Amino acid sequence: MADELYLENIDEFVTDHNRVVTYKWLSYTLGVHVNQAKQMLYDYVERRRKENSGAQLHVTYLVAGNLLQNGHVCHKVAVVREDKLEAMKSKLSTIASVHVYSIQKALLKDSSPLYNTDYDIVKTNLQHCSKFSAIRCAAAVPRTPPDAPRAPAPARSPQRQRDPDATAGTVNGHGPRAAKPPPQQHKGIMGMFAAKAAARPQDTPKEAKAEAKEAPGVSAASSKPPTKNSIMNNFFGKAAMNKLKANSVPEQPKEEKEVVKPSVAVAEPESSPNTVAEKPGKKTESDRIQQKDKKSKTKRADRSDDEEERDPENVKKKRKRIKQLLSDSSDEEDVPPSPTPEEERAPSPLPEPALKTELEPASTEVSAGGRKRKRKRVLKSKMFIDEEEGCMVTEKVYESESCTDSEDEFPKPKAPAPQKQPLLPTKREPKEERKNPKKGAAPVNRANKQVSIMGFCQKK
Amino acid sequence: MFAEQAAPTAQGLLAPPSAEPPTFPRVAVSGYSDCSQPFQLGERSFARQYAHIYAVRLASMRPSLERRARSRWGNDIVVRRLSELQEGEECCVVGTLFKAMQLQPSILQEISEEHNLVPQPPLPKYIQPSDELMLEDELQRIKLEGAIDVQRLVTGTIVAVYGCEQDDGRFLVKDHCFTDLPPPLPWSGPSSDRFVLLASGLGLGSVSGEALLSTQLLVDVVTGQLGAEGEQSCAAHITRVILAGNLLSQNTQSRDTLNKAKYLTKKTQAASVEAVKVLDEILLQLCTSVPVDVMPGEFDPTNYTLPQQPLHRCMLPLASAYATLRLVTNPYQASLDGVRFLGTSGQNISDIFKYSSMDDYLEILEWTLLAGHISPTAPDTLGCYPFYKSDPFILTECPHVYFCGNAPHFQSKLLQGKEGRRVLLVTVPDFSATQTACLVNLRDLSCQPITFSSFGADSED
Repeated sequence: MADELYLENIDEFVTDHNRVVTYKWLSYTLGVHVNQAKQMLYDYVERRRKENSGAQLHVTYLVAGNLLQNGHVCHKVAVVREDKLEAMKSKLSTIASVHVYSIQKALLKDSSPLYNTDYDIVKTNLQHCSKFSAIRCAAAVPRTPPDAPRAPAPARSPQRQRDPDATAGTVNGHGPRAAKPPPQQHKGIMGMFAAKAAARPQDTPKEAKAEAKEAPGVSAASSKPPTKNSIMNNFFGKAAMNKLKANSVPEQPKEEKEVVKPSVAVAEPESSPNTVAEKPGKKTESDRIQQKDKKSKTKRADRSDDEEERDPENVKKKRKRIKQLLSDSSDEEDVPPSPTPEEERAPSPLPEPALKTELEPASTEVSAGGRKRKRKRVLKSKMFIDEEEGCMVTEKVYESESCTDSEDEFPKPKAPAPQKQPLLPTKREPKEERKNPKKGAAPVNRANKQVSIMGFCQKK
Repeated sequence: MFAEQAAPTAQGLLAPPSAEPPTFPRVAVSGYSDCSQPFQLGERSFARQYAHIYAVRLASMRPSLERRARSRWGNDIVVRRLSELQEGEECCVVGTLFKAMQLQPSILQEISEEHNLVPQPPLPKYIQPSDELMLEDELQRIKLEGAIDVQRLVTGTIVAVYGCEQDDGRFLVKDHCFTDLPPPLPWSGPSSDRFVLLASGLGLGSVSGEALLSTQLLVDVVTGQLGAEGEQSCAAHITRVILAGNLLSQNTQSRDTLNKAKYLTKKTQAASVEAVKVLDEILLQLCTSVPVDVMPGEFDPTNYTLPQQPLHRCMLPLASAYATLRLVTNPYQASLDGVRFLGTSGQNISDIFKYSSMDDYLEILEWTLLAGHISPTAPDTLGCYPFYKSDPFILTECPHVYFCGNAPHFQSKLLQGKEGRRVLLVTVPDFSATQTACLVNLRDLSCQPITFSSFGADSED
């Protein structure tokens, strides 16, 4: 009979598999209401004991009721072994419920097997843990997806995040932030941007997306570029972004070959569709920001400029960087299209490191063969005397410098130090090369090359 | 309260399986409103000094204290500022108390090189017979003596003293009073039985696992899995669960990075990571069945200073998918079914415990209600955000249920005030130590503890 099937099942679990069968475990396994499971257990015990009084069965019961303790009436809920059942029942002044908690073959010394059994079965059924419960709550509905945090990983594909629109953003600004300092720094810099408010909600979805995709140990870089991207998203339309996306897709495989952190690679693709031209204001600020940064920011500044320039014009345009940096006021107008492809430029300095990876493939495409000497943009302090004011002015400007192959190695030690530069310097190198496509060797190629001894004779 | 209703069907499940067992719908939430906006901090700036919070506190509470003083000592008393005091004149002064304690930990003393002191180990109580009380107002301060219990009172309380200044410059106190219970709120509680479960100190992530089964039993009772039908139908009347802090155990606090070498601790994950995952699963089980309010506590991953901000929902990805989960501040104030709840995770009470001779958590809880301030010792000995516009810890309305979490044991008292005020004071015990939670019945403001136990190796009842 179908009714008796459960008896056989329980029998099998207890005797053959030697399991600890709790009511909860039985309820999930057989798919029945918890009360039915409790009754089934009781029925099984009764029948087995009737058939075979020497049955090797140990039962634990749950007893609940009122107990007078410390002067007040306390409701006690206890799991007791069978031998202590009557003692507990007599202690309680009023019994609220008694039922079978579990059946097992062996005598339990303590309750941890019970806990473990319940824990395991609940863990495997987390999504519908109240399915067989006796209480239904109408209010317990999952939040609608736009509100829900993007919790469990959507497919963590190394491929880039597709659609900027797919970002069903959480508007509350509660994006998961893996690395705290970079986002904070990021915020600090972003705070200088005029249109921060609009960018913020988009940041979050972008970040959430990026972080969902990335490896668990998401680096600062990854969080930054996605954020950056979302800010850029504000300023650019879909068309431009799709264009960028198309452009960056072919670069993806190249990027992945890169010896970079996977998270960065993921971030890279993401930043590429999102990089778009920036408003003049933003660019100005990024220029200023770049000028503040020393060391590794050099290349990022370059990139940033490029990015900003890029969008209004063709994606593939190239432009002169030096001019841009020197002129704070007029950003876009001054910059003629630069020869390097700029698809993956993030507007702010922060995504730049990430972008650099993208630039690498770009420069790979552009540059011909392995070039030993590349031009690099270096932040230098120039001092001159201002006659009108009668003072000395020290200005930090970018200058193009040629450098040898092995200069790639040098920025590396610097890279781990700054918080904002999580990317390996190899990425930056490619960026530099990208700017001088004719001269630079592909960064990818360079990464695989052996370090030349000439690296010690650096040309400054 | 459960047992009487459940008793008739207690043994109902000791029977062969019957027809389709009933499922009880959870009692719907009717009227929930979160009133803890004053405790939510937006942009935070720590550029201000803490003097402003005391100034605001005194300015806000002065009117009600003067009213109370007049009602107590007569309408014709003279209320003076400290700067207007005349020697020998009987008057009333309103000001902030300051207790000068020798044993009070002082960071300046600790780091001072001239003293060469070893840092003082934490003591359970820092009171000493040599402590002195001083009254401060906006401009001056004066030493108090007389009919005022120095040991009992703590710094930061706003008090009105009645007495006169003596020739040695001290103020001889004849009587003093606090602001007493705040104005009452209208009562619109439910007419049928509705319960709220208060629990605190789940202590997940601790090394010992004894409390784990008890936590599981708690979740099972609330979600209606445990118990016979009668008990399950009573559990369906639980409208809300409030977890009052210390969801993580103290053991999760540090990776011991200070004492161990870096190569030993570099790859180790903080214990709180695993503990938060366990918390997420427990909250998920609860959220699928009942609305839950989660308050952070002393050992939880949120800010240290009061008011503690809600836990971030990215830490609880599974549970925060449900609208029934509410992450709230500490202290927390809300109106559930017409009953106003106000409570903290216990840091305020335990801090007063350290600096006062009062030993009973319930007594301290009652005293804070009568003093009109949730946490007078903040910011002196308890970390607090530097407010300057208003002090959100001042009690402006009298709650119906006033609780504090993480107390050593369960206590409750129904305070009857004048004008029909009723306040239920509850000290919610630490669950990891006592395996006890509290059930508050909103209909009649009664409270019952609910204890969970299992059998251990020693198998004692």
